[in-house]
Parts: sequence; C-alpha cells; structure tokens
Amino acid sequence: MRKNRFRIILTVLFLGLALYFLYPTFKDREFNKDISKLTNAQDSAAFFDKNGNDVIKAKEDRIKLGLDLQGGMYVIMEVDIAKLLTDLAKKKDDNLTQVLNQVSEQSKSSDEDFVEMVDIRLREKGLSLKAYYGEIRDDESSIKSSLKTEVENAIDRAIQVVRNRIDQYGVSEPVIQKKGSSRLVVELPGVSNVQEVRKLLQGTALLEFKLVIDPQIAVKVMEKINTYLAGGNLDSLVKADSLTKIAKLDSLKKKDTTGVTKNNIKKDSTSITEKKDSTKKDITKKDTTKKDLTKKDTSKKNTTKMDSIKPEDSNLTGLTDSNGNPLDTGKQLSEEEFKAKNPWFYLVRPQQFQDGTVAWFVREADKQKVQKLIEKKEIQDLIPTDVSFAFSNRSTFVDEGEKIYQFYILKRDPELTGGVVVNARSNIDPSNNTPVVYMEMNSDGSADWARITGANINKQIAIVLDNVVYSAPVVRSKITGGSSQIEGMANIQEAKLLEIVLKAGALPAPLTIIEERTVGPSLGEDSIQKGLYSSIIALILVALFMIVYYRFAGFVADLALLFNMVVIMGIMASFHATLTLPGIAGLILSIGMAVDSNVLIYERIREELRGGKPIRTAIEIGYNKAFSAIMDGHVTSIITAIILYQFGTGPIQGFALTLLIGLIANLFTAIVMTRIIFDVMTGKGKTSINFG
Amino acid sequence: MHFFQNTNIDFLGKRKLFYIVSLSVIVIGLAVFFAKGLVIGIDFAGGTEVLVRFQKDVPIEQIRTAMSTAKIDGAEIKTLGSERDILIRTPEQGEGTAVSDNIRQALTTGIPDNTFEVLRIDKVGPKIGKELTTSAIYATIFSLIAILIYLAFRFEFVYAVGSVLALLHDVLVTLGLVAIFGYLFPDLHLELNQGMVAAFLTLIGFSVNDTVVVFDRIRENIKLYKSEDIYHVMNRSLNYTLSRTIITNGTVFITVLILLIFGGEVNRSFAFTFLIGIITGTYSSIYTAGAFVVDIKNFMDKNKKGIIPGKLSVKKA
Repeated sequence: MRKNRFRIILTVLFLGLALYFLYPTFKDREFNKDISKLTNAQDSAAFFDKNGNDVIKAKEDRIKLGLDLQGGMYVIMEVDIAKLLTDLAKKKDDNLTQVLNQVSEQSKSSDEDFVEMVDIRLREKGLSLKAYYGEIRDDESSIKSSLKTEVENAIDRAIQVVRNRIDQYGVSEPVIQKKGSSRLVVELPGVSNVQEVRKLLQGTALLEFKLVIDPQIAVKVMEKINTYLAGGNLDSLVKADSLTKIAKLDSLKKKDTTGVTKNNIKKDSTSITEKKDSTKKDITKKDTTKKDLTKKDTSKKNTTKMDSIKPEDSNLTGLTDSNGNPLDTGKQLSEEEFKAKNPWFYLVRPQQFQDGTVAWFVREADKQKVQKLIEKKEIQDLIPTDVSFAFSNRSTFVDEGEKIYQFYILKRDPELTGGVVVNARSNIDPSNNTPVVYMEMNSDGSADWARITGANINKQIAIVLDNVVYSAPVVRSKITGGSSQIEGMANIQEAKLLEIVLKAGALPAPLTIIEERTVGPSLGEDSIQKGLYSSIIALILVALFMIVYYRFAGFVADLALLFNMVVIMGIMASFHATLTLPGIAGLILSIGMAVDSNVLIYERIREELRGGKPIRTAIEIGYNKAFSAIMDGHVTSIITAIILYQFGTGPIQGFALTLLIGLIANLFTAIVMTRIIFDVMTGKGKTSINFG
Repeated sequence: MHFFQNTNIDFLGKRKLFYIVSLSVIVIGLAVFFAKGLVIGIDFAGGTEVLVRFQKDVPIEQIRTAMSTAKIDGAEIKTLGSERDILIRTPEQGEGTAVSDNIRQALTTGIPDNTFEVLRIDKVGPKIGKELTTSAIYATIFSLIAILIYLAFRFEFVYAVGSVLALLHDVLVTLGLVAIFGYLFPDLHLELNQGMVAAFLTLIGFSVNDTVVVFDRIRENIKLYKSEDIYHVMNRSLNYTLSRTIITNGTVFITVLILLIFGGEVNRSFAFTFLIGIITGTYSSIYTAGAFVVDIKNFMDKNKKGIIPGKLSVKKA
C-alpha cells in the first residue's frame, strides 16, 4: 500500500507540473481570443494596460509552433555583392563602379550569376575582368571562377551571420534560404514584430579589434557617469577630453585586493598568443591562474549568486561613489540607498578580480536601460570622445535565473578591422585538450598586429562584431608572424562561434532587408486542418479499439494515453521547445510505443490468466515479464533519440526531442501509472478485472 | 476478444522464400531508385517562388486543387501577409518565364472568378542544405552503431546484428517500394521532403522496437525450453508474440492509413512512406529478423564444428 501511495503522489505531481507548464499555452489562446474581439483602439489600449505583461509572459512560455505549422516573419535580405567586388578589385575606376551599379540593379530581377553579369557588362565596354581582378599571367576563366567562389563564400558567410544573429535572439528553427544570386530568404517562426526583426538582421557585420580600456581609466569614466546620474557635482571630477589626459591625471592608489576576489563570477578569460610551434611550446606557457578561474566558473555557473556583487561587496580599488567617497562605504547602505546614491553602479556592477582587472556586469533585464543611457547625448558628452561601450554576445553567467552580461569599456577607434583576417580555424589543442582558435592575418595586418600586441601585453583586446564583444583575450606576447592562437574558451562550441565570427568579419558585404512580411504556415492552413482532424479521428479509433479488445483494461490504457499526452506537452512547454511536423512524427512514434507497452503487458496478463492464475498474481507476473521488453525497446529508442538530437539539426532535432520526451513519459506511465489502478483494485479485494 | 491465440505457425520454415522475396524487392526497388530516383521535393532541391496577389481572399485549398489539376506538383503554398497574397513555391526550375507561365495558366483556369497579378518570381535555394543532409546521415549511422552496442550487451551479439540487419532491411525495402510506387503511380506525388525523412526516422524506431520485443521473448524462452534448439524456440516465441505484433502494428497501421486517406496532399509523402514502413517492419520482425539470427548462428556453428555445408544442425518442424 505504501508503494502505491508513493506512486500516486508521483503521478499527481507529474500531472500537476505538466498542467502548470501548459497553463501559459492555454492562457495565450484565451488572450488571443480576447484580442481578436477587440475592435477599437481604446479597448485595445485598455486591454494591454491591464494585461500587457501577462500577455507577453504567456506568449513566451507557451508551446511554440514551427514555421511549418504556425507561420511567422518572412524577410528577404540582400548581400551587397557590388561592395564585395569593389573591395576585391585591384584597380578601381568609374567604369567598374558603373558596371557594378548596373549589375546590382539588374540582379534584383534576374537569377543570372552576378559575376557573369559583370563579365558581360565589362565586355560590352571593351574591358575585361582581368583588367580589374587579375595578375598578368592569370587566365580569364580562372579569375572568373575564383571571383565566383568569393561571392559564394560571402553569401555563405552572410547565412552564418544571419543564423548567428537569430540564434542569439532565441528564435528556434528559423529557415534561411538562398534566393536568386545575392539574396537570402529568412523565415522566423512565431515572430511578428517588424521592428525587432529589423534591428536583429539589418546592418553590416563589421569585425573590429578594439582595445579594452585599462581598469583604472575605465573606473574614472564610470564614476563620472555615476556622479552625473546621481546628480552629483561634476566639477569635483576630472574634466578630461581624452583618455591620455585621464591617465596622466589619474592618481589612483592601489589597495590590497585580496579581500575582494570573487572567483565565482565569470568574466571573459581568454588569452591570445603567437600560434604555437611544436618546438616552442614552453615559451607560451599558459597563465594557470586564469585557467583555474575558467574552470571554477563553469562548475559554479548556476550557483553563482548575484549577492556576491551586490552593493555591500563592491569595495573596489579606488572606486568612489557619487560624493567622492570610496565605494566600499556601501557596506552600510541598503540596496535601495545604494541605488539612489549610485544609480549607474547599480545597473552596471563592477567586480574586481584577483589579477587586478575590473569587469562590469549588467543583468539581462537592465540591458535595454543601460543601452538607452549610453546612447544619451548627455552621457556621450560626459565620456571621453575616444571611448565606446559594448556588451558581451551572450550572458557570461546566470544568477538566480537571470542572465548576466559582461559590459565592456572600449577604445572607440578599432586597432584593426576584420578585413586583415584571412583565415580562422577552431580546434582542440592536442597538448592539453582545450579548445583553441587559430587566426591568420595578411601581411599588412600582421605588421600592425605585431605593433598592437607588442604595445599591449597583458591587456585585453576585444573581438567585436556588430558592436558586440565575442571575446576579449588577454595579449600574452607580441605576435609577429600574423598567426595567433586564442585559448581559454569554455568549450568547443564557443571556439567554433569565435571562428565563425572571425571569418564573418572578413565579409565586407553589408546585409540589407529589402522586404519583410508576415507569412502563413508553410504546410498551409488546409493541410494542417486535415492532418489535425485525421489524427484526432485515428486517436479516437485506437482508443475505442483498446476498449473493445481489452475492455476495462483498455479503458485504463486509454487513460494512460491521455495522461501521457498531457505530460509530453507539459514537458515540451517547460523546455520552450518548438513543435514542428517532424516533431509530431516523433509524437506519433511515442504514442505508438505507449500503446505497445500496454498491449505487451495485457497480452502477458491474459496468458497468465489463461494458465489459471488468480488476477493479482497474473497482473504481478504480467507486468514483470513485459518489463524487460518494454525497457529494452525504450532504451534503444532513447539512445537513438539522444544521438539524433546531438548530431542532427533543425527538423531532425525537433523529431528527436519530442520522441525523447515521449519515451520517458511512456516508461513512467507504462510501468507506474496503469499499475496503480490495477493494484488499488486488487488491493480492495477485487477478484476479477476485465482484460477482455 | 482474442486474435491469434495459441497459434503454431512455422514462420522460419519458409525463410529462404522470404529472403528471396525481400532481396528481390530491395534489388528492384533500389534499381528503380537509382535509375529513376525519387522526386526531390522543394525542401531539398529548391525551386521557383512566385508571389501572386488576388483580387479577393482565396482559400489555399482552392489554389492547391488548381495546381494539381494543372499537374504542378509538390508546391508549398502559403499566405503572405493577407489572404489575398499567396506565395507559391514549386520545385520546378524551368528557364525564363516557363514556370510562372504554367502557374499563371493553372490559376487562371482553376480559379476563374478571381483575378490575380503576379507580383514577383524568384529562384530559391533548398531549405534543407547539404550540411543538414550530411548531419542527418551521420546521426543515423551513429545511432545504428549505438543500437548495435546496446543490444549486444543486453542480448547476444548475434541478436544485435540480427536486429540491425532487420532495420537495414526495413529501410531498404521501404525506400525501394516508395521508389517503385512513385515511379508506377506518379499521381501519388511521392516526393523526398521533410515529411518523408520524418517517416523514415519513425519507421526506424518502430522497426527496432518490434524486433526487440520478439528477441526479448526468445531470450526468455531459451531459459524456459532448454532442450529445444534455437529454431524451435524462435518459432515458439514468434507465435507467442504474434498477437501483440499484430495488435500494436495494426493500430499504428490504422492511424497512418487514416492520415493517408484524409490527411491531404501535403501529408501524403509522410503517411505513405510510413504505411509501407509499418507493413515492412511487421513482416521483417516476424519473418526475417529471427531468421537472420538462426542462419547466422547456424553459420557460426558450422564453421566451429566443421560440419559439412548443407547439413544444418536444425531440423525443420
């Protein structure tokens, strides 16, 4: 009986959780119904005033449908091939510009290859591709094919950049297709905000290497903003127009830093060195303290407490509050008081590390606010003209369920732009099994790079794409050969992303949105309706069959099926998973296996009943004997699902995820849930249960 | 109600015949597959995208009918912005204005009471790129290996090999049959698209599960009937699990059949492929999966004991 009680509690718990997670999906439907009833602007405004946050929350937490089932945003983007070809040309003149402009215009309505069209136009003018792109010995066809490859690569990279931007935004299963000679079709399921999409996709992916400003100077800049926002006396602060001036006037005293080290906060801890030769491995020995820091961070990622960078802890070296007092007096202040006194440091929280560096962190919720503030003219006037700000590309750690981004204070003018990068490659360093990214620069870039790295040893250089910092490695040595190696990434995915970023930086072709619209589901409303209706009919038929064939037990199996579907959907919702057609196929497979589990058990029980066993024993034996078959069948499928999820992409992953969830839910219902009903019945002294 | 109770069918006796049947289907099917290929859907091949604007709202179904009457198959049809703007993507790759002329023609004759204009025509690349296809293939290969390892642990290696062989058998037979049907009945509009890929993945799942259930019974019966040889134990187990095999697969069969009949054109590739897969999977778990194991075991015994070929260690029932 006690065993049963535990099972019942477990079942109710699962059901409760599933319903809890499904509630937003239900709520979202209700809201949509209400919204569609609203006819005039006043009503809508009133409705959103009242329910705005709930509507958004429900939308975020509901089960999302893929583009094939739901539709979304449809965007056509153009890669500026003309700019790419201008940049590639060895000689630039009016003729070329004219031809490229003409071809750009023409390509809007033609599928012809861009390079071919340029070739034809040039010939018409009595010119040739060779005149602009070739060396003396190159032949025309090889120039053409290499140009085509460049264009092809640019578009592929554009796809990567777009995919990256979308991934960061958190839209799952987007569709990105090439279209014509220089365009991309991007479809974003469930997105309907044009403004958001524009902000997300538009713009040139410009890669820059920017110097991260020294902590002492950064602190001064930040203090200035803080004082200004708190309405403090600006005259007491240094009036400086440039960083050099600040640096000169800076009289920052170094304090003992041992007490303020916070190992559990993750900041970027990558470093950059000359690419290792096997012979000089020892020269570029890695900073082990840094590595340890990274390791600790990853293990504590989820337990990191924002407390650790709450105001009372922020006694930073030399940092002063808006009244010019050292910031560590904050210890006596409550959070509210701190916020009032130091509005800027409340949003952008400073943190000092063992190695003396200061990093700044912003909560996800405050990101917009900070962004708005730094764009303000007053703030812009306040800071030195050669300073700019940027966020890390994604949260560096999570605190109390909230993502925390690193905030960088950079030198405005890039030290170098991404055009000098000729190649980037991510790999696992065989000597210590850590991910590493190799970066190659052209000869011009290498010379600059040697100078830049030489002058900034032990300082950070940020790798910035689209004004977002992807990594800010510490320079460990002067890099003279043009081959650099970046290490300290947490995993290979991070390294891979950096590789794409570095490569995408070489893409000199801006992306522009030329059309955006909402789009219906790609399967078509009609097909979805048909599919849905036939699935419902089929399910009802199967349920009826089970009752006819297995009688009471069949009814129990149907209950289990229903329970199963609720739990599967609940887990899907809690994972924020997207449901697509392949996902539904996964669902069908798991429902099929759920039916199978019951059939296996019931057939076994019937066998035992035929052998003359009493009902209780028959049930006992039936469940036990069917167990190994159910278990093996499910485990095999679970393994398959995990592998498909791991190695597959897009639709395959959708299939694998629903299947995985379905199988796990099945195992529970088949082994635990239906058993309860039979056990309770036999426990109450029932001597016959109808198994048909 | 009871189906197939106390059967005693000699499933393995005619296994040579079934080998021949399976093998011929695979050979013919693959020949058709490689010679004629499958119709590659727009998901993989890309095609032409046409945006049309109608005078008044038009149901998608009407457009779909108009398109299929004009034999423009495998189109993806969806609304763009409003019910008047319709985006049609077809896998056709005709030169110049050929494709749009066809579509124009089809819509004019199919929907006579609603005038329209063509706003835009473009070529589009495949939705599922090469990298997606290769990752799917790798994923499948890895999962086959993982299945092999797991089953080798849980059963014997021979059984693991048997079930993976049965799995390959199901995939190849289904692929072959789909190719043959697609070739013989072009009106079915079977095309390689996301749905078909999903169907294959699903059928792999069912196939392994089916085989595992039978093998599980064999594993149990080997212990119960120690004096019987593998041939008889296997036949016995197949008979014991027959009702389960038929009921489970029967319900799935009915589900998919309904989807095939009422699910509309878009769901057809998925439903048809899966239907064939379910039939094949049921057949293989009864007739060939176990047979593979018996023959592999016999082959190994023969080699071990040096028995002259032809003199099998098993007797026919």
